[in-house]
Amino acid sequence: MITCLGDLFFPEVGVAMVKLLRRLGVTVEFPEGQTCCGMPLFNSGYHPDAAAVAARTVDLFAGSEHVVVPSGSCAWMVKAEYPGLLAHDAGRRAAALALAARTRELSQFLVEVLGVETVASSFKGRVTYHDSCHLLRGLGESRCPRALLQGVKGVELVELPGADECCGFGGSFSVRLPEVSTAILGKKLDNVERTGADCLVACDAGCLMQMGGGLSRRRSRVRALHLAQVLAGEEKA
Amino acid sequence: MATRAEFLERIRREARRTDGLFTAATATRPARPEEAAEAVRRQMAERWPEALDLFRREFDRVGGVFHRAADPAEVPSVVLEIAREEGATAVVAWDPPVLGLDLRPRLVAEGLAVAVAASDPADETARRRHREESARAQIGVTGADLVLAETGTLILLSGRGRPRSTSLLPDTHVAVFDRSRLVESLAQVGILLEALHVDPARSMSGAMINFITGPSRTADIELTLTRGVHGPKHVHAIFVAAP
Amino acid sequence: MSEGLLNVPFSERAGAALGDRFLQEALTIATTKFIDLRKDSFAGFPEGDALRDQARSIKEATLQKLDVYLGQLADNVERLGGRVHWATTGEEARETILQLCRDRGVRMAVKSKSMATEEIELNEALEKAGVTPVETDLGEYIIQLAHEKPSHIIAPAIHKTKGQVADLISEVAGRRLAADPEVLTAAARVQLREKFLQAEMGITGANFAVAETGTVVLVTNEGNGRMVTSLPRIHVAVMGIEKVIPSMTDLVVFLAILARSATGQKLSSYTTLVRGPRQPGELEGPEEFHLILMDNGRSRQIAGTLREALYCLRCGACLNVCPVYRQIGGHAYGHTYPGPIGILLTAMLRGDESVKELAHASSLCGACKDVCPVRIDIPRMLIELRERLDRQKIAPWAERFAFGTLRRVLLSPAAFRLSSALGRVLQRPFLNNGRLTGLPLVLSRWTRTRDLPPVASRTFRERWKDLQ
Repeated sequence: MITCLGDLFFPEVGVAMVKLLRRLGVTVEFPEGQTCCGMPLFNSGYHPDAAAVAARTVDLFAGSEHVVVPSGSCAWMVKAEYPGLLAHDAGRRAAALALAARTRELSQFLVEVLGVETVASSFKGRVTYHDSCHLLRGLGESRCPRALLQGVKGVELVELPGADECCGFGGSFSVRLPEVSTAILGKKLDNVERTGADCLVACDAGCLMQMGGGLSRRRSRVRALHLAQVLAGEEKA
Repeated sequence: MATRAEFLERIRREARRTDGLFTAATATRPARPEEAAEAVRRQMAERWPEALDLFRREFDRVGGVFHRAADPAEVPSVVLEIAREEGATAVVAWDPPVLGLDLRPRLVAEGLAVAVAASDPADETARRRHREESARAQIGVTGADLVLAETGTLILLSGRGRPRSTSLLPDTHVAVFDRSRLVESLAQVGILLEALHVDPARSMSGAMINFITGPSRTADIELTLTRGVHGPKHVHAIFVAAP
Repeated sequence: MSEGLLNVPFSERAGAALGDRFLQEALTIATTKFIDLRKDSFAGFPEGDALRDQARSIKEATLQKLDVYLGQLADNVERLGGRVHWATTGEEARETILQLCRDRGVRMAVKSKSMATEEIELNEALEKAGVTPVETDLGEYIIQLAHEKPSHIIAPAIHKTKGQVADLISEVAGRRLAADPEVLTAAARVQLREKFLQAEMGITGANFAVAETGTVVLVTNEGNGRMVTSLPRIHVAVMGIEKVIPSMTDLVVFLAILARSATGQKLSSYTTLVRGPRQPGELEGPEEFHLILMDNGRSRQIAGTLREALYCLRCGACLNVCPVYRQIGGHAYGHTYPGPIGILLTAMLRGDESVKELAHASSLCGACKDVCPVRIDIPRMLIELRERLDRQKIAPWAERFAFGTLRRVLLSPAAFRLSSALGRVLQRPFLNNGRLTGLPLVLSRWTRTRDLPPVASRTFRERWKDLQ
C-alpha cells in the first residue's frame, strides 16, 4: 500500500521500499486501483465517506498475503479503524478484520515478519529519528525503526529530544490551524537542529511533508528522509 | 428544582439506555472489614520496624523532620527542643488523655504557654477561646491515628479533644506516635477505613479525617515551590519507641 | 466565559497566545516540569498501570449504576446531619447557594479550588448578590485579584509572572512587596488567614464522594481545603454527579494515582475526608453541611458519545502533554475547561455548537490518552464530535463540499490520476527551486510558513511500470 501522499509527493519512497523488499527476497505487487486509506475523511468526521473508501480498499487487497505500508498512520487506519467502519457491512466485516491482521507498517514488517534488523545499505550519515504519533501510540512501535537504523553500518543514530512529541501535522489540522501547527513544528525543528544530525528520519509521509517543509523553508542543512530511503541506500533527488 | 426522585429517575433512565462501554467492576471490598483490619494489625505487629524505616525515608522526602523518644516521658523534651529552634512561645495540643501525655508541666516550667483542647461538650465560649489559642500558637501537637509508611503520611481523626486546627493553624505541626500506628500501604489504609466505618458512631467522635503528607505547599507562582501557604510550614513526627 | 472573548474566532485567540512571549516561555517551563514529574513518578511505580485500568473500571461500573450510588450517598449524608440538594442545572446550583447566603446572613464566602464552581460562574453571581467570594487557593487568589480566569486546571496562574503577582498582592497589602515567591506566599497567608477566620461560609468542590459512608474527599496541597471545611459555620460542597464512587476501597485506588498524575507527588499534602457537619463534642467544624449534586448536562452523556469523559479526575495531565495546549495555554480555549478534556467537557456542558472550532484544535496525536489516569480515549471522542458536527451540518458548507470532492476522487482511480495530472499543471507557477511556495487559497495557509513538495513529475503508479 503506497498511500496517497506517497504516490503523489514521495514516489521515491515507494520505489525505495519496493527495491528494499525485493533485495530481501520478497515478491512485491501493487494493486493498481489503490488511492488512499481514507484517514483524512475519517479524522475530519466524514465517516460514511471513509467507510466507502475502506470498503474499496478491503476489496482491492483481498488477495494479498501481506500488506506493507510505508506509513504508520495508514497502517493504523487499516488495523484499528477499518473493522469498526465496516462492522455493519455484512459482506466485508470478516475481510476487514483479516486485512487488519495482514497489514503492517514497513519497519514492523521487516523486523517481525522477515526477522531482519540489519540491512546492508550504502547510506552514510548522522541521523535522528522522529516518532510519528500513530506509529508510536497507535501501533505501539518505537523500537523497530531505531533498530533498523542502528543496523546500518554507515549510520550514526542520535536520539532526538522530544522525539515522541507531535510534529504538528495532524492532517487537516495543519491548514485549519496553520499558526499553531507551525509553532509546534518550530519546537520540533529546533530540537532536530540541536542534535547536529544531517538527516531527519520518519516513517510517515505526513510528518515528512510537515517537517521537510519546515526545514526547507528555514534553509536548514538537515534533510528529511523516509526510513525506506535510508535502508535502500537512495537519497531524495 | 427537581425532587430527588425525579433527579435520580432521569439518571436511571439514561443508564438503562446502554450496557455501558465494557464489563466493569468496582474494587473488591473486604467481606469482613473488622477481621481484615485485625489481620493488618497482626501483620504490622511483626513488620513495624520495616515500616518505620520506610516511613522515615518517605517522611524526609516530603520535607518532614523525624525524632525519636525512648518513652512518653521524653516527648516534652523533644517538643521543647523544637520550640527553642523555632523561637516558639506558645503551644496548643490535643487533650492529654487523647494524646497519651501531658506537655504542660515541663513546657510551662520552661516559660511556654500551653493550651490544650477540652474533651467536654463545648459551648460557644470554649470554641472561641480554643480558636484564639490555636491561632496564637506557633506549635500544634497532636497524635497520629495511622502512620502510612509508603508515602510518609500522618492520618488524623478529628473529634473530642482532638480538634482539626491543632495540625492546621500553627506554623509547626508535631505528631506523636508509637509502633501501633504504623501501616505500610495505601491498600492497608483502605481496609482500615472500611473497618472504621462499619460503626462510625462508635469508632469516631468527629466528622473529619485528614491525611497529612508533609508541610503545606504550592508552586502557583512561576512554579517555584514554597511551603506554609495556609497550613503549617514545618511538620515533625516523634516516634515513641516504648511499646 | 465572557461573551466578548467568544466573539473572537478561536484561531485569532490562538494567534494572540502564540505572540505572547512570556506566556510561551511560562507554558514551556510549566508543562515540561509537570510532564517530567509525572513521568518520574510513574517510572518508579510499576503497579501504576494496573491501578489505572482498575480506576477506569471503577468509574465505568459506577456510571452503570449511578442513580443507586448517588441515592446511597445522599442517604448517608443526611444521616450525618447534612443536607443534599439536587441541582439539575448550573443555575439551580447557583440559586441554592445564593438562597443559603440570604437565609443565613452570609456576607463572605471563602472558596477552596473548585472547577465545578468555575463552570457555573458562581463568583460573579455571589458578587451580584452582595456576597464577597474569596478564592483561597493561591493560584485562584492571584487570578481573582487580576479579574481573570484560570488558564490551567491545577495551576491556574501559570500565565502570570512573579512581578505581576507582586503587583497584585502588594496592592492588597498596602505596601510594595518584593517579586519573591516566598515573600508573596507569606503575605497571601496572612491576608487569607484573616478571611478564613471571618467568613460565614466555606465553599468547596469534591474530588470524590464515597457513597458507602457519605464522605466528601478533597485533594489539596495548600491547606485551604482544610481551613474552608473547618472554620466557617457553613460548608457547601458543589459536586458533579460523576464524582461519586462506591466505597473506601475504591477511594484508595484513585488516591494512589491522582496526585502522581497531576504533580508527580505520591499523595498531595492534604487529603481531607469530610463526613457531614461537625459532630457533637467537636470544638471545631461547620454547624451545617450542604452537598449540592449537580447534573448540568452530565446525565445526557451517560448514554452518549462523551460517556468516557465522565471518568475525568481533573488532574490536568492531558493539558501538560497536549502539543496544542502547550502552545496556546488555557485562555485561548475560551471556556472553563481547557485542553483536550476541556473540549469534550465544553461539548458536554454547552452543546456541540460551542465546540465547532475547538473540536479541530487537535492534531489527534494521542499523547493525552497515553497519560490519562483513567485512560479516557480523547482522540476517539474528538473524531466522533467532528462526525456529529458534520452530520448536523454545523461544519461550514465549503468544507463539507471540499471533503465531498475528496471522497469522489478517492473512490475513483481515474479521478485520482486526473487530479495528479491537473496538480502537476496548476502547480507550475508556484515552483521555486523544486519546492512549492506561495500557493493560493486554502493552501496558502500551508505555504505561508512551510514549503510543500510538488506533485511528482512521475507518480509512484507511473513509475511502477518500470519496476515491474
